[in-house]
Amino acid sequence: MVVAAPERPTRFDMPTWMRSALVFGLIYTFLVGVSALEKGIKIMGEETQERLFSSVSNPIAGLCVGILGTVLVQSSSASTSVIVGLVATKGISVDAAIPMIMGANIGTTVTNTLVSLGHIRQPAEFKRAFAAATVHDFFNVMAVAVLLPLELMTGTISKTATWISDRLVGTAGSEWKSPVKAWVKKPVELIVDIEGAVGLSGNVLGTFVVLTGLIIVLLALTFITKNMRTLVADRVEKSVNTVLSKGSGSVAMLLGLVITIAVQSSSITTSILIPLTAAGVLSLRNAYPVTLGANVGTTITALLAALAASVPEALTVGLAHTTFNVMGIGVLYVLPFARDVPVRLAEGLAEIAVKRRVWAVAYVMTTFIILPLIGVALLR
Amino acid sequence: MVMSFFSKREGGLDHIVSRAVGMLGDARHSFDLATLALLTNTDTAAVQADIRDTDQRINHMEQQLRSELVVHVTVQGSSDIGSVLGMILLLKKIERIGDQATNVLDLAESGVRLAGETDTEAMLAERGLISTMFGEAADLLAEPNDGRTEEFATRILALVAEHQAKIESYLHSDRPGREVVPRAIYYRYLKRIVANLLGIVRTAAGPLPSSTTEEDDKDD
Repeated sequence: MVVAAPERPTRFDMPTWMRSALVFGLIYTFLVGVSALEKGIKIMGEETQERLFSSVSNPIAGLCVGILGTVLVQSSSASTSVIVGLVATKGISVDAAIPMIMGANIGTTVTNTLVSLGHIRQPAEFKRAFAAATVHDFFNVMAVAVLLPLELMTGTISKTATWISDRLVGTAGSEWKSPVKAWVKKPVELIVDIEGAVGLSGNVLGTFVVLTGLIIVLLALTFITKNMRTLVADRVEKSVNTVLSKGSGSVAMLLGLVITIAVQSSSITTSILIPLTAAGVLSLRNAYPVTLGANVGTTITALLAALAASVPEALTVGLAHTTFNVMGIGVLYVLPFARDVPVRLAEGLAEIAVKRRVWAVAYVMTTFIILPLIGVALLR
Repeated sequence: MVMSFFSKREGGLDHIVSRAVGMLGDARHSFDLATLALLTNTDTAAVQADIRDTDQRINHMEQQLRSELVVHVTVQGSSDIGSVLGMILLLKKIERIGDQATNVLDLAESGVRLAGETDTEAMLAERGLISTMFGEAADLLAEPNDGRTEEFATRILALVAEHQAKIESYLHSDRPGREVVPRAIYYRYLKRIVANLLGIVRTAAGPLPSSTTEEDDKDD
């Protein structure tokens, strides 16, 4: 850097090779967490599994559980990885998992909507920021509104995902010899042995192993994201500048995809866009395709999680997540008459929110907490 | 364009500094042409399009780089916020030099001609000196050096004082207004241009003044 920076305390900057090695270690830890989750549920036995997961057999309830679970952990990567783990135990079917995956897509948008609330004191900035955040919400809600009924009627998403999965790892119902599964077997057995050694057994042991798996998945994803953000920050900066200077919609979308795969978090990508849109540096129409790319990019984590599972259905669910997001773009972005709808809805909502800011808070509470809670309570 | 994510071209503040050096080169080009139009018999119509295009290019680049600085802070966090604020100030100063060069052109376009006068040779020599100072400022922007910055500052401040003295002498001169007014205005622009060059170099060397706290045992 050429412009002299003011003096600041020295801090330890980890060399790139060390940080890269750390990320690989964290990905391994993440896969151990997913596998532990699967193991814990298997320990619980079929009867307990049946009791636990019968509530999500209704697709709308599953959708609401997906939203709530993702809002709770603030990461669709984490919630979809857990769903993949659940499918791997055969606790829930692919058909029941798909609405949950769709819910995770909606739930993950809460992060950038919360980021936009940070601009609430400056009306002009807030209007732009809130519109940029909610365009993602509207797109995802509309994608669910179109594709969930289609899936329930025709099974388009699950059939497409199953077709790809069959060609990659074999047909459903078979045992898939994942090499990753073998690599993570020892640490998972160690977790079970340690928790078994303190006298736990049956459902209690299963619950503790599941909780351990959940904690491992959440911590590993948090640190993967943190380290990857540091590793690729310069590249992300260059990519955003490309979107600003000459990027078309498809370029912006591809960059959103690449950035999200790199940082393993769509929330990071979309949250970067909020201050830029608030400052007027990026227009809503330029930010919109980046969020769609981020939607597809974030599905890589569930695919990664499927590597630690032993059944093809886990990969099918991961692929269903990708298929859903790609089809959403096909229906709502590629078709010219639909492209502007989420943008106009977001601008309209921002117009209302900037006049009465309490509506912005009410919108967040209703969309991400109250309605999903009502849905689960009524339909489970 | 998607490959920009994987490319190894320089990014961040280094990229912005190299673009700022390019902007300074453009500002020098505008200054050279505008002063040539005023101090020689060069046809203003022949240079005005070039100067105005260059000024627009500088303005556009300033806006683009300001956006990139916002992106930099958003992506990288606030760890080098001091440098970012310094860069914003520095880019503004370069943009102002572009405007001031255009002001010199406006003077020539309004019909003022300082060619063939008794002081023209001295003004042309001074123009050459200031033009080389643009080059020095660009070097110091790319490679800040405390010693060279101080030496540069001493020369610039002497030149600013000289310009101020000339402006005051023109303001109080008994010579006809058509002789002294254009010169007073011209030297006012020159004074601002060299002061901005110093501002650029000083901002590159240290974007923000450091503050010190008083010692606890110091008497009130």
